[in-house]
Amino acid sequence: MSKRRMFFKMITASLLRRRSRMLIALLSIAVGATILAGLVTVYVDVPRQMAASFRSYGANMLLMPGEKKALNRESTDEALSLISREKLQGASPYRYISAEFMGNQTGEGKYSSQLKFMTAGTSFDEVQKTSPYFAVEGRYPEAPREALVGKNVAATVGVKPGGNVRLAYDRVKTVAAGQTQRELQGSAPGYYDAEVGATVLLNEDGTIAAVAMDLSRQTPFRVAGLTTDSFTDTYGVAHAESFTDQFIGKQIPLTMSASADDLDEYIDAVSGATASCKAVVDAVNAASETGTHSAGQQITDTERAAMSFTVVGILETGGEEEDYIYLSQRDMEDLTDERDVYDVVELSVSGSSEELSALAGEINEKTGLEARLVKRVTKSEAGVLGKLQALVFLVTLVVLVLTMISVSTTMTAVVSERRKEIGLRKALGASDGSIRVEFLGEGLFLGLLGGVVGAVLGYVFALVVSRRVFGSDLQFNFLLVPATILVSMLVSALSCLIPVKRAVAIDPALVLKGE
Amino acid sequence: MSLLEIKNVSKIYGELKALDDVSLSVEKGEWVAIMGPSGSGKSTMMNIIGCMDKPTKGQVLLDGVDISKESGRKLTEIRRDKIGLIFQQFHMVSYLTAVENVMVSQYYHSMPDEKEALEALDRVGLKQRARHLPSQLSGGEQQRVCVARALINHPELILADEPTGNLDEANENIVLDLFRQLHREGTTLIVVTHDPEVGEAAQRMIVLEHGRVAREVVNESFEA
Repeated sequence: MSKRRMFFKMITASLLRRRSRMLIALLSIAVGATILAGLVTVYVDVPRQMAASFRSYGANMLLMPGEKKALNRESTDEALSLISREKLQGASPYRYISAEFMGNQTGEGKYSSQLKFMTAGTSFDEVQKTSPYFAVEGRYPEAPREALVGKNVAATVGVKPGGNVRLAYDRVKTVAAGQTQRELQGSAPGYYDAEVGATVLLNEDGTIAAVAMDLSRQTPFRVAGLTTDSFTDTYGVAHAESFTDQFIGKQIPLTMSASADDLDEYIDAVSGATASCKAVVDAVNAASETGTHSAGQQITDTERAAMSFTVVGILETGGEEEDYIYLSQRDMEDLTDERDVYDVVELSVSGSSEELSALAGEINEKTGLEARLVKRVTKSEAGVLGKLQALVFLVTLVVLVLTMISVSTTMTAVVSERRKEIGLRKALGASDGSIRVEFLGEGLFLGLLGGVVGAVLGYVFALVVSRRVFGSDLQFNFLLVPATILVSMLVSALSCLIPVKRAVAIDPALVLKGE
Repeated sequence: MSLLEIKNVSKIYGELKALDDVSLSVEKGEWVAIMGPSGSGKSTMMNIIGCMDKPTKGQVLLDGVDISKESGRKLTEIRRDKIGLIFQQFHMVSYLTAVENVMVSQYYHSMPDEKEALEALDRVGLKQRARHLPSQLSGGEQQRVCVARALINHPELILADEPTGNLDEANENIVLDLFRQLHREGTTLIVVTHDPEVGEAAQRMIVLEHGRVAREVVNESFEA
């Protein structure tokens, strides 16, 4: 038998054959190692857990249109491509409109009142990722023409899942969009000399790009007691695109004609009320330049659209979302007749606040969109994490010290219990060095056993903590097993230093005589 | 040259002279009993011969080496290499088997050798009990294991402290028979005892009284 084998035989026999006392030391180390491994597991896993918990309080990054960049499907995809797939937990595009509530019956019922609700078009799959705290009574919309209605909205209009809402939206129509256009304004007398205004956009080649009429000053006649009906023609002109469409492409001065054959050149005098038509043409002809339009500016007009939706869910969040109506992206696009346009995209991205700021900066720079961190969440996340980690660290330290004290006490007791044996060993020729090595060896072996037990129990402990506190499983960190064992061995060896010193000091002569 | 030569050794604890100018020598192969009542200085003598204490005055030569001047570490080495110890209370490592206890001595001396250790146990008639723990052995059996342990490294000197003090007569005789056998084989034995029967088994008795050698008795009837 080699010397080394005898050494291991002695220290293992000491632990395994004299169980009672060593069991206490082993227990101390195992308990210490358990708490250590558990806390460290939680410590390591907490940032992940916390990040997940915090994410459930909403998105942590917003994408908004940049100064010179519109937010749409294309620019959103461009921004999302900068975020790694593992980090992106969800991205919910939102298109917000103010929609008029037109009753909760399918039919063309009367307006109950002038109720307007903020209405959002979004992707419900993504919403469930970025806003997991949304509590829905009923379900999320799945089919076309289904709506999720905020709790307050539902209460206001008295609708329940299975009910119905009809929404109207004034579509904003782009009449014209130019590059560099000159704007002219003019006016001419119309009905009863009421002034009719016209705003004209001229293309660079002098052709008319768009005409908008201002018939508002004819209103005094209504106030004067005339019936509205006598002005339907004028009112009609104001909204008749077919009338103003004729102007486009022509040049000032315009001439009116009653003949439908000459429409390439002349304005059709019959398409609107004659007086109004003439007044508009006069106004256009009288227009003088008031300024230029830069690229992107638009002249718009509105068109009313109305659609009915089946309410499938009532949304409860405790926040302002309860004042909203949510539609699918597709339904929103149908209602607004606009494709792939978003007002904001809510992102849920995992990462530290530093990583998120860097990412936001990168998106701003590369896409021209405005990426903004939802600061309240990310900052508090970092703050709470830091505090929690400091706490765990402190507790770990205290546990380590307590373990050390406990093991040290036990080992000291073990040494005095084994004074005779130590004396005997010395009498048999053991040097101080061998006594030291043997006791440290026992300590290390104890640490090894305790560490193994602790690593296993610690994982279980951490799992329980994780499930109880965070309600989720944790990732098993294999590195933690050797780390726990090493630390236990170290702590155990350190705890043995004082007892070993006492062991070395024992006088071999005590084995003589019948003490 | 004598194996052990003690010249004018005194050991003084404060006022008390535990040993007072003692001189004696033990030849190689000799069997000597050191006797005397309690307080006569037997234990002090034992400690000094066993390299576990140093005299205040005088010289102790063990196998030609002056152990009265050596450092603790050196004394441990000398004890390990030259002396086999047997104790009144046996002192076995409680959690090791008989054969392992013998091997502990080998371990500190040189190399554990189970075969040799088993042979040593065979010699004291305990081969069958080699795998037993001390708690499973009788006092006599334990002391025989200790004799085997003392022998295992072939020491120059076997130093026994009241080896039969805790044994009944039958076991005492077994141990004394072992000593006789060792003596025949040429082992030097120093037995410290206050038991006349054990003392008389030796070749020569040195009787201590009040820290001095009171008398020396050569056992005329000693049979090798």
